[in-house]
Amino acid sequence: MVPTMLAAQAEGRRTFDVDAETTGDALRALPVADLLFNERGELNRHLNVYVDGLDHRECGGLDGPLTGGHVIRVVAMVSGG
Amino acid sequence: MLALVGTRKGLFCLWGDHDRRRWEIEGPLLDGWGIYHAMVDPRDDALFAAANHVVYGPTVQRSTDRGRTWRRSRKVGLPEASGLTVNATWHIEPGRPEEPDTLYLGADPGVLFRSDDGGDSWEPNRAILEHPTRERWLPGAGGMSCHSIQLDPLDPQRMYAAITAAGVFRSDDDGETWTPVNQDVSADFLGDPYPDVGQCPHKLLLHPAQPNRLWQQNHFGVFRSDDYGDSWTRLDGNGLPSGFGFPLMLDPTDPDTAYVIPETSPEYHYSPGARLAVYGTTDAGATWTPIADGLPAPAWAAVLREGSASDAESLYFGTQSGSFFALTDDDQWVEAVRHLPPILSVEVTSWSR
Repeated sequence: MVPTMLAAQAEGRRTFDVDAETTGDALRALPVADLLFNERGELNRHLNVYVDGLDHRECGGLDGPLTGGHVIRVVAMVSGG
Repeated sequence: MLALVGTRKGLFCLWGDHDRRRWEIEGPLLDGWGIYHAMVDPRDDALFAAANHVVYGPTVQRSTDRGRTWRRSRKVGLPEASGLTVNATWHIEPGRPEEPDTLYLGADPGVLFRSDDGGDSWEPNRAILEHPTRERWLPGAGGMSCHSIQLDPLDPQRMYAAITAAGVFRSDDDGETWTPVNQDVSADFLGDPYPDVGQCPHKLLLHPAQPNRLWQQNHFGVFRSDDYGDSWTRLDGNGLPSGFGFPLMLDPTDPDTAYVIPETSPEYHYSPGARLAVYGTTDAGATWTPIADGLPAPAWAAVLREGSASDAESLYFGTQSGSFFALTDDDQWVEAVRHLPPILSVEVTSWSR
């Protein structure tokens, strides 16, 4: 599930079903992957990624394995004005 | 007519009637994105936006249906060997008429891109990226943006790029090599106030009818060159309350006419003496007079480098406090819209609704 601003960049879709072996692969399979990573493949600052409600950094980071049936949620930590 | 007003929170389309007194507002398009620059490519009416977001990063967006739908360019990036990453997209410039699929993109950190597929993908200009003087470019708090890209309409090999904290560069071989052209332009924040690079141009424009003539609003004054940038003459004083400012506008029919919007100083970025005014010259910078009727007073306004535009009929600008102004034929400013998010960019086009 992605935030509404990303959905606006994906023809309005907020949810996507993807087959992936890792959290990073799942994110890289999204049509908005270019808005999640910089050109080095590093996850943008101020993005939180949760796998089944857990911070992805507690689940092996982007290399964390997926065994099927997970819900990954992307949250933009927008603050300030 | 249409004014494309880029703000920190999206792109607003302001539709003006023939005398620029009544305006209708549409938007925001690209809701939530910071629109550093938006423009209509006159060659095919495609609408482009340099759209940036603190979380989602820098993008270029393109619409071929007047903003109803948008398509992102492929990732704008720099090669890993450069050690640099793109921080923001700043300015999109259409290529030459004889190269209808070519566009140029200026970006932070002081890089220039070229697209030869109508803006779908962008390749960095290696000669700018690897310029031998790059290590002496010293970005300030505003970053290091390549914000001005000017093509000589009479010489297909000649073009210019202006980069904050780096200076103005000219290419005479279609971008293969770049020569700094900053002679006589001061950089008082450096130990040597007249180095070959390190100056801070805020906006550079070439006059389309006399392309040997360049105008530059710099960190340290307003300058004009009549020899393709080889030498510069400082023009402030003679009516200008300050040499500091960001916007620059030209009259496409008169090479001797230019307009600036001064701010107090490099330290104080607001209207000098609390008097917001556009200052114009019609004698190539020898004298300047304010155009202020209809503008609010007192005002401590700030207009950013892309925050103004001009066409054959008039002048337009938007402030960081969210007001957009257009000049009528009797030299009265009309506040077309107020309370927009902070205005980052303004362009105008002849589109009608």
